[in-house]
Amino acid sequence: MVGLKAHAGSPRNCVRSPSKTSSQKASRFELSGIRATHLLLLALPISIFVIFYVIPIFSTFYLSLFNWDGVSKTKHFIGLQNYSALLFEPRFYHALLNNIVWLIFMLIAPTGLGLTLAAILDRGLKGEGFFRIIFFLPFTIPAVAVAAIWRWMYEPTNGLLTRFLETFGLSWAAQNWLGDPHVVNFAIMGAVLWWTTGFAFLVFFSGLRNIPVDCIEAARIEGATAWQVFWKISFPLLWPSTIIVLGMSAIDAMRLFDIVWAMTNGGPAHASEVLATQMYDVAFGRFEMGRASAIAVYLLLIAGVIILPYIYYMSLRVQHREAE
Amino acid sequence: MYKLKWICLVAAFFGGFASVGAQSTYELWHYYAAGSELAGINALISYANKQNPDAQIIGRIIPGNVIEMRRQLQTAFLGGKPPAVYQSSMASELKTFVEGGRLHPLTDIWNKIHGDQIFPEGVQRVVKIAGVPYGVPYDFSLINNVFYNKAIFAKIGLTPPTDWNGLVSTCDALRKAGIQPLGNAGGPFWSLYNFYAALVSTVGIDGYYKIANGELAFDGPEFRKALDLYRNTMVKSYAKNWSGKTWTQAADDVINGNTGMVMMGIWVAGYFKHAGFEAGKQFDVFPAPGTEGKVIFQMDVFAVPEGPKASVEAAEKFITAASSVEGQQTFAVLKGSLAPNVNVDPSVYDYAGAKFAKQLVAASKANAVLPNLFFLLPTNVGSELGNQIERFAIDPSDNTEKEMISTLEPLRKEALSANAYTKW
Repeated sequence: MVGLKAHAGSPRNCVRSPSKTSSQKASRFELSGIRATHLLLLALPISIFVIFYVIPIFSTFYLSLFNWDGVSKTKHFIGLQNYSALLFEPRFYHALLNNIVWLIFMLIAPTGLGLTLAAILDRGLKGEGFFRIIFFLPFTIPAVAVAAIWRWMYEPTNGLLTRFLETFGLSWAAQNWLGDPHVVNFAIMGAVLWWTTGFAFLVFFSGLRNIPVDCIEAARIEGATAWQVFWKISFPLLWPSTIIVLGMSAIDAMRLFDIVWAMTNGGPAHASEVLATQMYDVAFGRFEMGRASAIAVYLLLIAGVIILPYIYYMSLRVQHREAE
Repeated sequence: MYKLKWICLVAAFFGGFASVGAQSTYELWHYYAAGSELAGINALISYANKQNPDAQIIGRIIPGNVIEMRRQLQTAFLGGKPPAVYQSSMASELKTFVEGGRLHPLTDIWNKIHGDQIFPEGVQRVVKIAGVPYGVPYDFSLINNVFYNKAIFAKIGLTPPTDWNGLVSTCDALRKAGIQPLGNAGGPFWSLYNFYAALVSTVGIDGYYKIANGELAFDGPEFRKALDLYRNTMVKSYAKNWSGKTWTQAADDVINGNTGMVMMGIWVAGYFKHAGFEAGKQFDVFPAPGTEGKVIFQMDVFAVPEGPKASVEAAEKFITAASSVEGQQTFAVLKGSLAPNVNVDPSVYDYAGAKFAKQLVAASKANAVLPNLFFLLPTNVGSELGNQIERFAIDPSDNTEKEMISTLEPLRKEALSANAYTKW
């Protein structure tokens, strides 16, 4: 009984109690067993996190301090020279600028279009299930397949897009989609918009469906227009969905690689290059593993500066909201 | 019973390791993923395996190109498990891995197959590092030919041009007839390969090697003259929107008559053949101006990583079979390339292949077999040259030329000071 009380009041007291009855021993065993289970369950994800995330980050930073081609058995220590050299490379700034443009695009275009499609479909249109699948389907296609599809669409003479524009008398609008350095980024963004809007759409759509009907009904009874209902009721209540979509879009923009590499290899003449494709080209195309590692570290820092405050701020907002 | 089960499991586990240790098959890594290329390498492996029943080679596809192969090799070397043999590019590519202490010297096997006799002199230059052979050639393609649509030429009354003025007037006539003159494709390689003709015309074979050795400056008059020639001939004749096309799309344009000509490696002949566009009847070929009597080539070789004795021996046996007349012919005919072994009978090739073989023989006699400059230069200089030439071909303005030279020349000087150039 004493042991039970101690256990109920304070587990530590129970463990430290000098008089150990059999029930105390049993509960101690049970507690340490639970604790061991917790530790064991935590051990796996922590190990995975450390092995696949933490160690590679430190390893990349370590490599960035060397002049190494990735092949030799020896590396030549050069300190921070790879970092300083990059600061004088126009190519590096060009890729960085592209990443920033991509960030702006990803935060606005797929998010805005996904929200618009979700809002339209949420009005209870006919064929909702069909459109839900159609809107989401592109997101299920792998990046390389998307790139292959759009490479053909963008073929500048006989491609679908050029032919479509010509058919409707808009041949003046046809471009050298992937071959013009001034157009190529917009062309890739078009493909990405088609590809990723489905994700934003799905998250917003499920968010809209989770909004309590009472709120909307009450607003309607009060005489609110559909526009007012959306902006004053639905959109503010979509906050958790917006957090997810914007966060994921920002991360996608900073780690952008596969679609650009598969569509253009960063070309023509580096025009569509982003930091991740530059890193890959420098590491394996030019045998400069140290320099590439420095690009990776810069990318990590830049992404951290942009994304971490957002995640921190949004987490706080969610906590506050839950507390309310 | 329970204990016995565990003992059996442990025994099976270590037995598995033992069987891995007593390896009797060895891997060949390559990036021939489909079509005639894959058929060629598979046929070659089958042939070699028949010759060497005790050292069976298994082909493993590394999807992508030379860049993906490098990535895979780097990981394999770090893990200590490289393949027995792999597909490698020539010259600087080999040199990087040799200097990294990763490749096995092939001196014995080279002597055994009489490498100095069976491969042309220009080919030998780019597989030897400091006089030691580290690669054995097997996949050889010319990159200095222009392919043209015969029906279009016949309709307009054109004949294949033999000099730069002829090329320009042919292109003018094609454009006047509403046909895009000269096809090209986007990417760092194709414009560069086209540029070689203008470069060789201007600086000659010696100058070409001087650029490869870092002796000829990018801001010198010779290189600028070559750029001018390229701008005033090929660049101004390129088909509309060429930079947005892949090389297969550029080839399709010749097949469907949108474009009169395309300058590309001889693999395009294989593509035409596959598309039912017949050599000698529907398309034909002529050497780009300035390269008559010469060939510029792109080549892949087999390289052998340092490894266990059994693995190296298996690789050497494979290479012996692959460099024989039968082995070289097996691969080249199926793939649509040329066999670098001069003893392969030209009669094994089709119309186009025979023409290329004839070019190679003539160039070999004249000692004018030039390797692809991209692979002769230090890797970063070659990559940047390809990128800058593509940029120049898209926008051949004086400003682009200025920026191009101000990018390339410091790279050349940096590579010279780092002793990264090689006298091939």
